[in-house]
Amino acid sequence: MRLLLLLPTATYRAAAFVEAARRLGVDLTVASEQPSAFQDANPAGLVTLDLSHPDHAARQAHAFARAQRAQQLHGVVGVDDDTAVAAAAIAAELGLLGNPVAAARAARGKHEQRTILAAAGVPVPRFTLHRLDEDPHLIAARAPFPCVVKPLRLSASRGVIRADTPAQFVRAFERLRRILSEPEAAACGEPARHALVEEYVSGSEYALEGLLVAGELRVLALFDKPDPLEGPYFEETIYVTPSRLAGSAQAQIAACAQRAATALGLTEGPVHAELRYNERGPWLIELAARPIGGRCSSALRFEPGSVSLEELVLRHALQMELPSLERERRAAGVMMIPVSRAGMLREVRGVEAARVVPLVEGVEITAYPGQVLVPWPEGSRYPGFIFARGDTVEGVETALRAAHRHLEFVVDAD
Amino acid sequence: MSPADVRITAEPIDNGRCKFVVSEPLHSGGVRRFASAAEAQGSPLAEAIFAIPDAGIAEVIVSGNLVTVVKSGTAAWPVVGKAVGQAIRAALAGGQPAVAPKPAAAGNASDDDTLYERVADLFEHDVNPMVARHGGRVELIDVQDAVVMVRMAGGCQGCGMADVTLRQGIEAMLQQHVPEVKGVVDITDHTAGSNPYFAAAKK
Repeated sequence: MRLLLLLPTATYRAAAFVEAARRLGVDLTVASEQPSAFQDANPAGLVTLDLSHPDHAARQAHAFARAQRAQQLHGVVGVDDDTAVAAAAIAAELGLLGNPVAAARAARGKHEQRTILAAAGVPVPRFTLHRLDEDPHLIAARAPFPCVVKPLRLSASRGVIRADTPAQFVRAFERLRRILSEPEAAACGEPARHALVEEYVSGSEYALEGLLVAGELRVLALFDKPDPLEGPYFEETIYVTPSRLAGSAQAQIAACAQRAATALGLTEGPVHAELRYNERGPWLIELAARPIGGRCSSALRFEPGSVSLEELVLRHALQMELPSLERERRAAGVMMIPVSRAGMLREVRGVEAARVVPLVEGVEITAYPGQVLVPWPEGSRYPGFIFARGDTVEGVETALRAAHRHLEFVVDAD
Repeated sequence: MSPADVRITAEPIDNGRCKFVVSEPLHSGGVRRFASAAEAQGSPLAEAIFAIPDAGIAEVIVSGNLVTVVKSGTAAWPVVGKAVGQAIRAALAGGQPAVAPKPAAAGNASDDDTLYERVADLFEHDVNPMVARHGGRVELIDVQDAVVMVRMAGGCQGCGMADVTLRQGIEAMLQQHVPEVKGVVDITDHTAGSNPYFAAAKK
């Protein structure tokens, strides 16, 4: 069996998916938006696709499939927001399992997603769409405070800013304007000329990891986010699972995510949903047609025998038999290490001490010496990840925090 | 230096593989790969690692200050890693070399030597000119029992697409040009890469 894996070159996900394919004995064709150095040497295994333009990518994939008839493709998987849309377009073009293209596009665009979900009665924050060239003072006069200013396309909460007053709103709006004027952000075109303004929803935040099979949401894990995400910026930190939320509330969250997926028209493959839960119940903040980002999937293992999330995703795309989808019994967690200070990274101290904290399974420093660390809201790259596993979620959370306290990022300030 | 002064950093690659970077050199005679407890006889470090109970140790590769351990058991790396750390410290504290020199006529040495030459030729004329386009370099460290050991440098070291380069590029070329090769092992310390060609960002 051969799978077309859409891997943007800036992904953290390459190792996990390549390893999952190896474990399953699946041949890979890896598609990226920039050519591999080995593309000419392995034309069946490497291909360049225009991943940011799904229709073009689908035509390119069609041409590739015709040229490589001897290496038939049996499935396609995207690993992030952009490639999820490209995967849907390619699946439609090649007759492979996937989401409808319109559904994948709707999930990709924050405004389109909210519009569809609100119309379907899924609880989402009240929102308005604005052009970046509008006068923020006029928008502030009508904004619901506290509110959140968001870009339509950026990932990892980049550019997301809370404002409690009109003056804060104007500053937040102008700051987002600057972020979206940066070349790599502006490259997404029209979405980079707009901002979403939505009411701030109080409450605890949760992340649901799921797999859609013929439209039915199978919940793989529900993560608590124990650090309050109250702004003004929304850099993630700790995820722990299983959730400590009451079973009835967890069921409400799962039902909310299912309603959102159905409303968007998503039917197949991984979903990652961010929700808030307060006295009024669950609120869908975002639902993406992709698995959890960064290195966070390493926190998840499934029965039997430590099956990875990536193996489940590949099995599903290839229509192979799925194992139980039951997460292991132990508690698990990951900390996306926050950027504490802007500047050029010189070294990271305390890694060895962090690694030997009881229950800590790994400390992965992904930033390299010389890399410029950029705090949120301008930044979107975590300098590393800490993983822990144990009998209780409290123990896991404590271990993550203890390990983090050992780490010191030595930075040459700007 | 006392065992307590030895610093060991564990870098799990996945559930089955983990690299241990040691502050002291363990073996200066190139790379040694042990695929069974029997092969490890005479090398105290490898013997001790294979003897870790319930870990299902399948392979131990020692190169300079780097130990790569492959296991098939489900025990977590923090558990197995502590035992590996103890084995490393004990080996360094012992009176004899942690790893014995590679036997001159061991196993399929002559076959490996032939393979080494063919792989080296492929690396020199094909692989390295290709990765050089991305500022990278792939060093052939050794061939043992038809398994090729490589170390990546330059733009490849720490690159977000290093696994793709290894599996879809280097391994595919080896399958095509030197089909006798049974596998490729990357012994690179990717965390030390300071100029990766593709750097990752959370998506």
